[in-house]
Amino acid sequence: MLLLVCITLFLYAAALSLATGTRLHSEKLIISAEYYIPFLVWLAGTLGVQRNIRRRLPNRDPWIFPATSGLTGLGMLTIWRLSPDLGLKQSVWFLVGCGLFLIALNTTDLIKILKTYKYVWLFLGIILIGLTFVVGVNPTGTGQRLWLKVFEVYIQPSEPLKLLLIIYLAGFFADQIRPNVSWLGSIFPTLVVVGSAGLLLVAQRDLGTASLFISLYILMLTVTTQRRRLLWVIPALALVAGAVGYFAFDVVRTRVDIWVNPWLNTSGNAWQLAQAQIAIASGGLTGTGPGLGSPQFVPIAVSDFIFTAIGEELGLLGTSAVLFLLLLLVVRGIKIALSSKTTFGRYLAFGISAYFALQSTFIIGGNLGLLPLTGVTLPFLSYGGSSLVTNIIAVLLLLRISTETSPQDLPEKARSPYQWVTGIFVVIFLLISAWNGYLAYPNQQKLIAKAENPRWAVYDRYSPRGEIYALSGEKLVEVQGEPGSYALWVNEPQLSNTLGYAQPLYGQSGLQSSQYELLRGYVGVPFEERWQHELLYNQPPAGLDIKLNINLALQNKADELLGDHKGAVILVNAQTGEIYAIASHPSFDANTIAENWDSLMQRTDAPLLNRATQGSYPLGSLASTLAYGSLVESNHAFDLGPTQDSFRLDPFCYRAMQVAGSSINAFQYGCESVAEETLNSTDPAILKADLEAFGLFSAPDLAIETADPSPALSVEQLDQNPLSVMEVQVSPVQMVMVAATITNNGMRPAPALVNSYYSREGTWQAFGPSQAAQVVLSENLSEEIQDNLRSDTQTIWYQIGHALINQEEPLTWYIGGTTPEWSAAPLAIAIAIEEEAPELALQIGNTLLNLSVSN
Amino acid sequence: MNAVTGLALRILMFVSLYAFLGTAVWLLWKSITGSRLRGGTIAIPTLTLATTINGDQMIQTYTSSDVLVGRNPDCDLVLNDETVSGRHGRLTYHLNQWWYEDLKSTNGSWLDDLKIEEPIVVKDNDSIYCGDAVFKIYIKPLQ
Repeated sequence: MLLLVCITLFLYAAALSLATGTRLHSEKLIISAEYYIPFLVWLAGTLGVQRNIRRRLPNRDPWIFPATSGLTGLGMLTIWRLSPDLGLKQSVWFLVGCGLFLIALNTTDLIKILKTYKYVWLFLGIILIGLTFVVGVNPTGTGQRLWLKVFEVYIQPSEPLKLLLIIYLAGFFADQIRPNVSWLGSIFPTLVVVGSAGLLLVAQRDLGTASLFISLYILMLTVTTQRRRLLWVIPALALVAGAVGYFAFDVVRTRVDIWVNPWLNTSGNAWQLAQAQIAIASGGLTGTGPGLGSPQFVPIAVSDFIFTAIGEELGLLGTSAVLFLLLLLVVRGIKIALSSKTTFGRYLAFGISAYFALQSTFIIGGNLGLLPLTGVTLPFLSYGGSSLVTNIIAVLLLLRISTETSPQDLPEKARSPYQWVTGIFVVIFLLISAWNGYLAYPNQQKLIAKAENPRWAVYDRYSPRGEIYALSGEKLVEVQGEPGSYALWVNEPQLSNTLGYAQPLYGQSGLQSSQYELLRGYVGVPFEERWQHELLYNQPPAGLDIKLNINLALQNKADELLGDHKGAVILVNAQTGEIYAIASHPSFDANTIAENWDSLMQRTDAPLLNRATQGSYPLGSLASTLAYGSLVESNHAFDLGPTQDSFRLDPFCYRAMQVAGSSINAFQYGCESVAEETLNSTDPAILKADLEAFGLFSAPDLAIETADPSPALSVEQLDQNPLSVMEVQVSPVQMVMVAATITNNGMRPAPALVNSYYSREGTWQAFGPSQAAQVVLSENLSEEIQDNLRSDTQTIWYQIGHALINQEEPLTWYIGGTTPEWSAAPLAIAIAIEEEAPELALQIGNTLLNLSVSN
Repeated sequence: MNAVTGLALRILMFVSLYAFLGTAVWLLWKSITGSRLRGGTIAIPTLTLATTINGDQMIQTYTSSDVLVGRNPDCDLVLNDETVSGRHGRLTYHLNQWWYEDLKSTNGSWLDDLKIEEPIVVKDNDSIYCGDAVFKIYIKPLQ
């Protein structure tokens, strides 16, 4: 049996030693020999112990030792994989434990000594706990001070206290000839002892250990008094203590709160639980493979959360084996109790088994979110010397008791509580295993997709993401470095708002976020290739490159013209909706996002916001153009000719007209009075339909995040207050589609930012339009609007508008496009500038539209 | 190279791990079914119970280690008397002794003058009173 355990652990160590090379996709064999150290230490200790017990305890239980040594070895290797420093310490502790094991093995009257001096052991334990109040420390420097420091070695006295308490209780109850004769006489002394030990721990805020003590005490009471119904006390007490603790202790309250919903607040303590579930899901059924996962994303993975670390790298197969071995230990332990020759041996073996069972249930249940988290260790596996040594000694006691069996069975009544406890733990372990399976498989994809899962950042380092190109092939974003240190570099940082960032700490944005599946190789890559990478490397394959419709010359010009002004420019092909340029200022540099994060977040001008797509600006006087079609359709006569009044009352309009230096056109220069008159003269039902057709109340179908659309205005609202149209919030990308509609004979195309992706066959695969162009206006009507807005000197049309952001900050709009005389592809543009700047808007708009001819 | 070797090692690791677990399950199963059989072979001193009901002498001999006494027809020893509870008491053999325990009967069980509250050891020629009924115990010692 032990041979299979040795082989399994050797293979685990061997697999770990290859992991580094695997992650780097190395052609040559790279072996990290350090993983053989914990294996060899384990092998030496285990074989040494095995030789001795074979000689001294030939009739021992055959399962306890292989099971526990297997768990210990698995723990040592996993700890080393997570932290070689702690792994080394754990290996030393293991040897110390083996040494103590051999000493205890050779102490002839050990069990008798334990029983005789039970009070000595108990008070020794309690004194140690008491000492932590005086000279207690925490190895991490902060938090509960549960440790004692002895010559640079940290000892947690609550660990040996658990065993000492079991010895005391077993000894005490074994001395009672008829434990159920007098409650007062037999129960009271133990109640005092357990109560005071519990109180000490509660005072230390070590509530996990305290609840463990109490549960353990009740289980022992159940078997010694042969009263099965005492078992109900545990859930009842848990409820009462939970309710009281919830209001009395902050620790309990936060633990319970995050237990109830770890996803509500995933920043603080809940982070750990959320990460634990994600880690289990990442492992799935067979695990990522030893050394290939990222279990260290779960804080304190080496001790409290080692179960999830095993779950991630060895999967459900690994955790099921752990649960099975723990259950085997518990079942065999209770079996040893039942066939023990002495009453003390029976109670002691039962107490030890119940302790393993309870502690495993507490911490694994806590890890998986089934129970509130209690910071107890997972027996044999978790990092922690005091715990490991205590457990090793407990195993020795079990083995010794197992050699002294009684030939007769216990009477039925005495057996029954043991059998009940065994049954209950079998059910609990099955439940834990089922829930573990649920997290690992049916719920897997949901958990992996959580925003809190940072594993993509690791994948990016080892497997290159796709790069992003402009239409003419210029690299906008490229991958630099080599396997293990791949990093993204943005060559055109002015486009950062649109390209986005992918930064481990701050997440992903823009195209890096929206095109993640493609860039990361999850879609567009043949299934076999993805599957092979997943299986061999636990990485997605190299991502696919994508090409945008961006014309870099136009883009740079737009950025240059917009300069330091706050606002957005977006230029599209009016027929296809292809976005040629998209500028949003102020911007940021995605390459230095980590260094500048805090200052970027503190800035009031929102540099991370993509104003072109996420900006929400009031429509203002541009409403006149949008309403013009419905005005004509409503058959209302309305003179659009120059009215001096319009200009006198509207200084912006006057200024715009002067800047343009062209004929007086109140419509073209966004005089508010014209907009108001247009809106007032329109049939509300037709207006509503037109505004909807222009896409004012729906989010544009764009590859990156857009602002939430304004709620649609009802016919009644429009009837009562037609001017409310001017307050509708729109984004520049919505307005450029309005401009495109007017340019493109009344047909509204869908905006298209991403042009194509580079397929594995070596060709650029174009994305078709996300939807066909929709008819908004009749051809005549769009021509009529263009005529109203036509430039005197150029083959373009445009309208300038203005509005007040939040009724105070000025905003200048510009929408425009090419006229049918234009020789090349029709263009449309929208500009929003967060200041009163008709000159700038005119300059940017006219320059970009005219520049497009030469491109 | 690393990846393929690593994958092979992983698979072998799981094979070996589950070979261990499988062996454990198999051997445990064998030991459970085996111990049942062995349990039947433990020698028990033969128990004979004698009672008189409505003038009829009734003598029964038992080979099991657990004998239920009561008025219910499914009891091993049926005492057809109104003062006897449905499941009145039980005789069990453990720790090399035959024990009698009262199963919280209405009218109680008595060993001569002693009311039986706790399981007690019974010996050859003891008489147990269950309500108004009485039965006598004969134990044939082991060879």
